[in-house]
This record gives sequence, structure tokens and C-alpha cells, in this order.
Amino acid sequence: MTDPILIVGGGPAGLGAAQALSAIGRKSILVEKEAELGGAPIISGYAKLVPSGEWAKDAIGGMVQRVAGSDLVDVRLGARVTEFAGTPGSFNATLSSGEQCQVSSAILATGFTHFDSINKPEWGFGTHPDVVTTVQVEQMMSSGKGVYCPSDGRVPDRVAILLCVGSRDRQIGREWCSKICCTVSANIAMEIRELLPDCSVYIYYMDIRTYGQYETEYYWRSQEEFRVKYIKSRVAEVTSDGNRLLIKGEDTLVKRPIAIPFDLVVHAIGMDPNLENATIAETFGVDLQKEGNIAQQFSYGGIGLTSRAGVYVAGAAVGPETIDDSIAQGQAAAMAALGMDGGMVAPSAAAE
Amino acid sequence: MTSSPQSGQRAVGKLADPIGADAPLDREALEEIFDDIRTHPRYDSELNGCLNCGICTATCPSAHYYDYSPREIVQLLWTENVEGIYDAMQEKIWACAQCYTCAARCPFGNSPGGLVMVMREVAIKHGMESAKEVLRPFSRVMLKVMTTGNQLAPNMITPEHFPDWGPNISKVEAPLNILRKAIPMPTLHTQETAWAVNLKTSIELYTIWEESGVLDQLETMDENLFDVIVDIMDEKREDYADWLEEQDDDDDDD
Ligand SMILES: Cc1cc2nc3c(=O)[nH]c(=O)nc-3n(C[C@H](O)[C@H](O)[C@H](O)COP(=O)(O)OP(=O)(O)OC[C@H]3O[C@@H](n4cnc5c(N)ncnc54)[C@H](O)[C@@H]3O)c2cc1C
Ligand code: SF4
Ligand code: SF4
Ligand code: SF4
Repeated sequence: MTDPILIVGGGPAGLGAAQALSAIGRKSILVEKEAELGGAPIISGYAKLVPSGEWAKDAIGGMVQRVAGSDLVDVRLGARVTEFAGTPGSFNATLSSGEQCQVSSAILATGFTHFDSINKPEWGFGTHPDVVTTVQVEQMMSSGKGVYCPSDGRVPDRVAILLCVGSRDRQIGREWCSKICCTVSANIAMEIRELLPDCSVYIYYMDIRTYGQYETEYYWRSQEEFRVKYIKSRVAEVTSDGNRLLIKGEDTLVKRPIAIPFDLVVHAIGMDPNLENATIAETFGVDLQKEGNIAQQFSYGGIGLTSRAGVYVAGAAVGPETIDDSIAQGQAAAMAALGMDGGMVAPSAAAE
Repeated sequence: MTSSPQSGQRAVGKLADPIGADAPLDREALEEIFDDIRTHPRYDSELNGCLNCGICTATCPSAHYYDYSPREIVQLLWTENVEGIYDAMQEKIWACAQCYTCAARCPFGNSPGGLVMVMREVAIKHGMESAKEVLRPFSRVMLKVMTTGNQLAPNMITPEHFPDWGPNISKVEAPLNILRKAIPMPTLHTQETAWAVNLKTSIELYTIWEESGVLDQLETMDENLFDVIVDIMDEKREDYADWLEEQDDDDDDD
């Protein structure tokens, strides 16, 4: 089994897998549909990452450089896999360029798609230019332009961050929690307060899920050190009085409806399943779970098993994940793909 | 809420939570009311859980004007706070405008407005004073609807029937009858009904109210009104039966 291992997707998970494989001297082919590696943190231009505090372009950019510089990783940019046939240990993958690759196994690290806020019209995105997403604020900060109101470029006095946009909402068929957006929002709030000390930042929440160690570093610190205000309310509507944005919600602790003016409203958008998952599932012959992510076969003996033997999955392709976990899953999938899962395959796949 | 319409009994502290020492009814009575709500055929489809997010209250028109919050109603039901539920039934549930904006927006797919409707039905079933109070100004409207098929007739649109119009209404009200006469549509010239509903339709409507339990509810709420309506409708039914017989006779003559 000396054929290379196919990795689809060059985000944190795919990079983690490629790094692990080259570290033990195994060849891989990394297929990425975009023109550059790095996944969401690089392609969408994130700013400082949770929890390292490093800039995405340094932290993930560093991984990209290590992977791209490795002789053992064959990178194919702007490419997709169009056909995938064969059996574990001996698959044949056809790329969109027409190139044929013999591979022993495949790791799907195809990630997620950002929720499109247009699907929650009552929260004003697409109607009011000063309603933006966390991704846009990340880009404002990473580009060095600082945080501003897109309508006229002014510096905001009052910023509201609305949590759970595109998550935990049956109205739009998304019941899951996107896991990282509470922490990311607290992080963004602190960065705004650091950049603009006179600007007030309010976070509208149902629950704060800065889980584990993030509680102290993000939820507590954002209040104690940065005076970020948390209001327990899910906003019902974002409108405008022609001058400023107006947020309508219920302050559920004070129990009264509220309407509060803001300059900038930020949607903490969630993580949707990759829009291409149906095609990916078809091409690779793997199952999706009910929400549309790639279905993982749970087994304490092996990580990253899909419904097809020899095809593994890692990172946000299975559902909302953090960067650290995506990298770790990429590395674990690499181990599994090397056959270090002790020969464990999904029961359904083993029966084939 | 001060007096208890059902019993003067105090809770004897059988179960501490959430019944306080000054609970209005004993626990069994409160639970019976809640059971009627919980076992209502629509209850389970209107309530799935609650994120406590406040979207319903933020969009609720009534919450802007009254001490009323759909989130509170949902929370009371979801946490089975039987005392709080009973308390809400004394006044709060009647503040809902039944617009169902809450249901359109709730991220959990609940219908707070639908739950309020269930609570109202149960309040009526239990003959609660709050329900009687709310329905009282509408007794003439109900009489009209149930016996003529008309909701409001021109001669009912007077300040006496609508105290909530306030004193300035007389300025508008005065020429209303004359103005109405000027409308060139024949049906609108009548004062007692807005239009004529034929006998068969009127009886069919009545039968629906009878079958769907509306008449039973009315009996609990206002026995006098109920008696009057039943008398009138019995007479209409007889008229209809006579008319049908006449038709048969005519047919036989042919
Ligand atoms: C606003 C925001 C801020 C965030 N900030 C942080 C943070 O600070 N810290 C943190 O830990 N997490 C953060 N996250 C989460 C983080 O983005 C994810 O954990 C991470 O991107 C997942 O990595 P991944 O490699 O699994 O997927 P992705 O980053 O989505 O990468 C998938 C890659 O696969 C490629 N691809 C997709 N489909 C195909 C296909 N069919 N063929 C070929 N290639 C394909 C994509 O182009 C992409 O390059 C944030 C998320 C959001 C939304
Ligand atoms: S992490 Fe926080 S903001 Fe994101 S979906 Fe979960 S609760 Fe909502
Ligand atoms: S149906 Fe009732 S509770 Fe719901 S929004 Fe309308 S008035 Fe408020
Ligand atoms: S909108 Fe729905 S989930 Fe939110 S508080 Fe109201 S009932 Fe609960």
C-alpha cells in the first residue's frame, strides 16, 4: 500500500491530515477547489483566532506554508474530484482536470459553508448596509481598515452583536448550535473595544456557550476587562429610524420589550453544512446525516469513519467544529487512513 | 387576583413548590385546570420546548401595551407552574390579540398565541370570572350573530354598546345612521341586520355551534343569554321544519 492518500479540502482539517502524513513520510494528494489553501480562516480573511490570539494569516498561513513546502504533499488547486471508484487500498480518483490518481484511501476535509444572513430578513441584513456578519467584521480587522459602518464609513459609537444567527432556529430548519460563535463574538467584542475604546458593545444572547476554558478567557474577561455588555434576549427585528439602526427584542430578565438604537449590527453567523455535500456524498458514495453533514460512524476504536470503508472524514465536514478540533480530527483521520485504526471499519461497510 | 371563584380553601402545604402558602386554590384544583390545558388536543403541537429567547414577546403587539408577555405564558406552561398558570388566566391571557406573529417567528416552532387560545377555552370551561367579564360586553353581539348570522347591525353601533370608544365618539356617531341610509345598496338600508341570512344557513350555523361545543361554553358563561338564543333558534328550527313540510306537500300536489 504505497499509493498516496487523497485529501479533499485544504482547510485546517485537510492541512492537519497532510501535515501528519508527511511527518511520517507518507505521500498525499491535496485537492482544493479554491485557488489557495487555508480554508475558511484564510479564504474568508479571519482576524485574530480563538484561542491563540494569533492572526489567521500567521497561524493558518504557517500551516499552509509547511504543507505546500513539503515534497510529500502534491497540491492541486482549483480542482475537484469528479469520480471515485475502487476498493480500500486501491481507489482511482478522477480530478476535474481529467487527471487520474491511484490512491489507497481518501480523507474528506471539505468543511462548511457560512450561513447566509439573507435567510433571516427580519434581522436587516441585505436591507440595511450597517447590518454585517462576523465574517465581514473579521475582514475589516484583518485588512487593517478597522471597524466602520459601511453606509458612510463612520466609526460606530454603539455596536450590537446578535448571537445564533442561522443556528438554533427551527424557522429556517437549523436546530444545531454552531459551537464557536459565542466565543468568536466575545473575541470580536474585545477587539472592537480595544480598537475603539469609546464604542459600546452589546451582545444579545439566549445562552452563552463559551464552553470549557473559553469561559474565563472570553466571557468573563470581555466583561471584567473590556466592559462588554450582555443582554439576555434574542432580537426579533432590526429596523431603522432613518438615522440609526433599531433593535427590537425582549429583555427577558427585565421582562419588557425593548427598542434600542445602534450604529452597527453584527450577525454572529453559524456554520451550515457545505453546500456541495450532496455532490460530494454522491461522488464518494458516503452517507450524509439528517442535517446534511457527512455522516460519521461513531466508534471509540477509530475516528473519522464514514459509511464507506477506506473513506474518512475530518473537521467541519461533520458539523460545526473549531480550528483546533478540525486539525486534530485531520490528524486522527490520517492515522485511520494509514490503517492504524486496527482494521476497524464501519459495520455497514465491513458487511459489503 | 384576590378572591377565588371556586373555593375558599387554602393550600395546606402538601407540596411546597410551586404552590405558595397563599395559593388561591388547593393543589388539586390548580392541577385539574392545568390538566385540561395539557390534555387539550392542540397542546402538544403548540408547545415544543422553549429557548427563553423573548422573540415572541418582542414581536407581540399586546406586550407593548399591557403587562403581558407570551414568553412568560410559554414558560409557565413548560415549567408546569400551576399557580402561575392560574394567575395568568385571571387577566393576562385576555390581553392577547390572537395575531399569531409569535407563532410565525418562534425559533422553536411554538405557538404562544395558540396556547393562549387553549387557556381561554379552559378558563371558559371552568366558568372563570375573568372569562365572564371579558365576554359580558359582547352579549348583544353574540345574540345577533347566533340568531341572525349578522355580527353587528347598524343600530348596535352606539356608544352605549362600546364604552371603550370614549366620549368623543358622539361626534362621529351622530350622522352614522343618516350616512348609512345614503349608501346606494339596498341591504345596507336596514337597521336591525346588515344583511339577510336565509333560514337554512342560519340553522346550519347554529348546528355547527351546537356540535362544536360553543353553545355549551356559552351556557357556562351566560345562562340567560344561552336560554334566549336557544328559544329563538328552536323557533327557527320549527319554522324550517314547517317550510320543508310545505315543500313536500307542494311536491305531492304536483
Ligand atoms: C466567523 C467565524 C470565525 C471563526 N473563528 C474561529 C476561531 O477564531 N477559532 C476557531 O477555532 N474556529 C473559528 N471558526 C471555525 C473555523 O472556521 C472552523 O473550525 C474551520 O474553518 C474548520 O476547518 P475545516 O478544514 O474543517 O473546514 P474549512 O475551513 O471550511 O475548509 C474546507 C476546505 O475545503 C474546500 N472544499 C470544500 N468543498 C470542496 C470540494 N468539493 N472539493 C475540493 N475542495 C473543497 C474549501 O474550499 C475549503 O478550503 C470560525 C468560524 C466562523 C464562521
Ligand atoms: S455558539 Fe453561541 S452563538 Fe453560536 S449557535 Fe451556539 S449558542 Fe448560538
Ligand atoms: S398571538 Fe397573542 S401572544 Fe402572539 S404575538 Fe399576537 S398578541 Fe402576542
Ligand atoms: S419565541 Fe418561542 S422559544 Fe422564544 S421565548 Fe417565545 S416561545 Fe420560547
